[in-house]
Amino acid sequence: MSPSRVGRVLGSEHTSTSAFRVVIENDEYLQLDDLVVVRTHVPKVGEVRTYGIVTEAEAIYEGATYESDTHRVAELGILPAERVRTARVAVTRVHPEVWVAPDPGEVVERAVGDERAMALYADEMQRALPVGLGRDGLPVPLDLDFFDGRKGGHMSISGVSGVATKTSFALFFLRMLTARPDVVGEGAASLRILVFNVKGEDLLWLDRPNRFLDDEARAAWRALGVEPEPFPSVRFWAPPRRRSGDVIVPDTSARIEGVEAFAWTPREFVDEGLLRFCFTDATDQRNQIPFVLERVQAQLARLAADAAGIPGAIVLPRDGRWASGARPREPVAHREDETLLVVDLASLADAIGWFLEPEDGGEPPYAWSGRTGGGTIAAFLRRLHAAVGRLGHLVRAGPSRRIDRTAANVTVVAIQTLPEQAQRFVVGALLEETFRDKEETGQRLPLSVIVLDELNKYAPREGTSPLKEMLVDVAQRGRSLGVLLVGAQQTASRVAPEVLENAAIRVAGRLDAAEAERAEYGWMLPSTRARARLLKPGTLVLAQPPIPVPLVVTFPFPAWATRREEVDDPGADPFDGL
Amino acid sequence: MARVVVEGWAPEYGAPIEPDDALAPAEGSVGEDVETADWRPRDGVDDGVETVAFVDGVRRVDARLVIDDPEAGPIPGICGTYAVGAVAWDRRRPASEVVSDQVARLAVLGGGRAEALPATDLDPPYTSASTPATDPADLLRELHTAMRRAEGAVASELAVGSFVIADGPLNELVRRPCVGLVKTHRVTYLSPERNRVVRELAPGTRTPLFTIADYRRYSWYVRIARVAFGHGWSGIVRCEASGQLPLEEVARLADRTAALLPLVASAPHLDPRAPQNLVPIGALERRLRHRMGDQGLVVRALREAAAREVA
Repeated sequence: MSPSRVGRVLGSEHTSTSAFRVVIENDEYLQLDDLVVVRTHVPKVGEVRTYGIVTEAEAIYEGATYESDTHRVAELGILPAERVRTARVAVTRVHPEVWVAPDPGEVVERAVGDERAMALYADEMQRALPVGLGRDGLPVPLDLDFFDGRKGGHMSISGVSGVATKTSFALFFLRMLTARPDVVGEGAASLRILVFNVKGEDLLWLDRPNRFLDDEARAAWRALGVEPEPFPSVRFWAPPRRRSGDVIVPDTSARIEGVEAFAWTPREFVDEGLLRFCFTDATDQRNQIPFVLERVQAQLARLAADAAGIPGAIVLPRDGRWASGARPREPVAHREDETLLVVDLASLADAIGWFLEPEDGGEPPYAWSGRTGGGTIAAFLRRLHAAVGRLGHLVRAGPSRRIDRTAANVTVVAIQTLPEQAQRFVVGALLEETFRDKEETGQRLPLSVIVLDELNKYAPREGTSPLKEMLVDVAQRGRSLGVLLVGAQQTASRVAPEVLENAAIRVAGRLDAAEAERAEYGWMLPSTRARARLLKPGTLVLAQPPIPVPLVVTFPFPAWATRREEVDDPGADPFDGL
Repeated sequence: MARVVVEGWAPEYGAPIEPDDALAPAEGSVGEDVETADWRPRDGVDDGVETVAFVDGVRRVDARLVIDDPEAGPIPGICGTYAVGAVAWDRRRPASEVVSDQVARLAVLGGGRAEALPATDLDPPYTSASTPATDPADLLRELHTAMRRAEGAVASELAVGSFVIADGPLNELVRRPCVGLVKTHRVTYLSPERNRVVRELAPGTRTPLFTIADYRRYSWYVRIARVAFGHGWSGIVRCEASGQLPLEEVARLADRTAALLPLVASAPHLDPRAPQNLVPIGALERRLRHRMGDQGLVVRALREAAAREVA
């Protein structure tokens, strides 16, 4: 008898091309997610191998008719009955592709070695990236062609918060991407990953070893073909601390060294049309605010001249046009009676107000307002001034402090301290920048990966906003441009369907019971859905187009620190002893 | 030789007989005072016997046959399947398992005929038997007797290593610890005042032994359960043991049955024949019926065989 034999195909009910059941041998077992293979002799074809994955394991006393018979069998021993253990198997593959049901009574074997690879279609994957460990402790492959845009793109991760699944898995996946150039192939070295840190400061230690990493986790990392080490190439960016005067200090608490402050100059703000990312609230899209916004943006782009002597600052002519006609190419010296100087968002808002609400109480110029009603203009300005309070510190004249996404493989942008509107602004501005760069080159390589948690905030199911449009655009067109979104959310049902539908790779950690029943998780098997409520940290369900059933995988404890306390050697604390 | 035809009628049709469990003794052949003259309920004694084997059999008429004799006219026959087996109750573990199950098929031809039955590819195949009778009830009795004989053989075999409780009256009277269990009471054996003692039995007690001389066996009554809304004799079984056994040994077996049978009595919601149809025997019967195979498939095989014969 073959050592991998575990049982026989159950014959008292129909087998099918999608599922069958196995009666397990007395001295064997099958657990959920085990892979099996059955060989069936098909007339005129020969041997057909059916591969499958265990989706449920069951046991019963055969011969017990009533529930109370259990006592008679197990306790009193007066009723003869046979314990029968069975397993339900969902078919993953039939090879060769002759779609017949496995014969009842055929021997069922555990799929090991080459058979395991067949069951997981690893033999057909040109670039199989290990994406976690199966229940058998062996790597589960992900067909990278379905992530990096060749055949599909993007990844969507769902799961309740606090079970450390979504972000942890996203980072684990990024680590695999960066650590396996042998698999990633072309473009591995120039890979650019943009990660937003939206909660806590978990992602500010990606470059530091985790001192709680144990031997078991090390072995798991090595099983995946990666040395358990932190990310080698990371740059950290944070917004400048508010009210820090002229000293620009990154707004982080636990880590300061190695973190750079970022900001946009008024020049960059105007040139890149970032004003629209100040209006990302769904309510901003009602009435005619977008119309005014469009006018104002056009006017700013047309009129803004560099201010002489202040790098990054701009000046606007008070009377709405330059004497030379077109905007001067050379920096213009600011003269209080002729020009408006913009050195930050507050002065920009004032300048816009100058045009939209003339001091003499007259009609605003048509070029700025498009003859929109006074109420709309007031609403526009009210929102603009509110934005000044929330994200004003992100725009300031001076040397350029924009985020350099090419400085390292992984760019972490810490926006957890910002109010929500400011977070949306930063995400929008960076997405826009990334996407525009790629649109200009038209090249898929180098790949740009964007990791964004709480996607439901940025691309909500209901309503529209420039940011949502941006994300939908990334989801729909990013694949061919090499802009790949790794989006995470607690509830997929609250995220714009266009964004979800375009994700070829779908991942779910532990789910809320009601959430798991929603149509957004239709890609899971009923048995997997039932289990999704019970998944432990570090375990999740992963679906990819080449494998017709979702797989349950675990990923190892991070090799990098996720909190200050985990940092192996936090380095000399400059405030030690104070 | 005349042709054998498989009758289209349902095999159950026209065979309303129930081969009788009761042994009607001749007047005065029952000895009531063999164990004691003091007729009162006696408590059962569990002597800790380790293995108890329950033996039973089931039978089924698969199809009715007709021998198409050109001169004598149609002569009846039946095809039947029976299965016998045993459940061993290991009281130390405790657990029960089916330790024996055998299936046999028998074609009984009436009128003393010995026509060859068309060969089927059934496993096991049919063996033929012949009886001079032509009454369907007699044909059925022939099948029943064959089953009872097979039961007796299983019981005798198992009685070597374990204590055997066989369903129905004893078929083989050997010197072995084997007790027959009769569930119905169509014949009364005791005198009227002694019958009163049977009514008084509490669960787990028995009557003193009595002998049925005609049939050379000891017998006693045991109440295995108190039945709600029952009559005085519900929950009573009659046991018997071989007359070849010494009286003291029979008394010991009787005590044992009184103690053990209530433990395996079935409950009314589980078995329509409760409590007398014991739990292990009910399970054994289910298993044996399963082992006899599907009746539809058997009939089909017979028809196909008969059709081949004609062709």
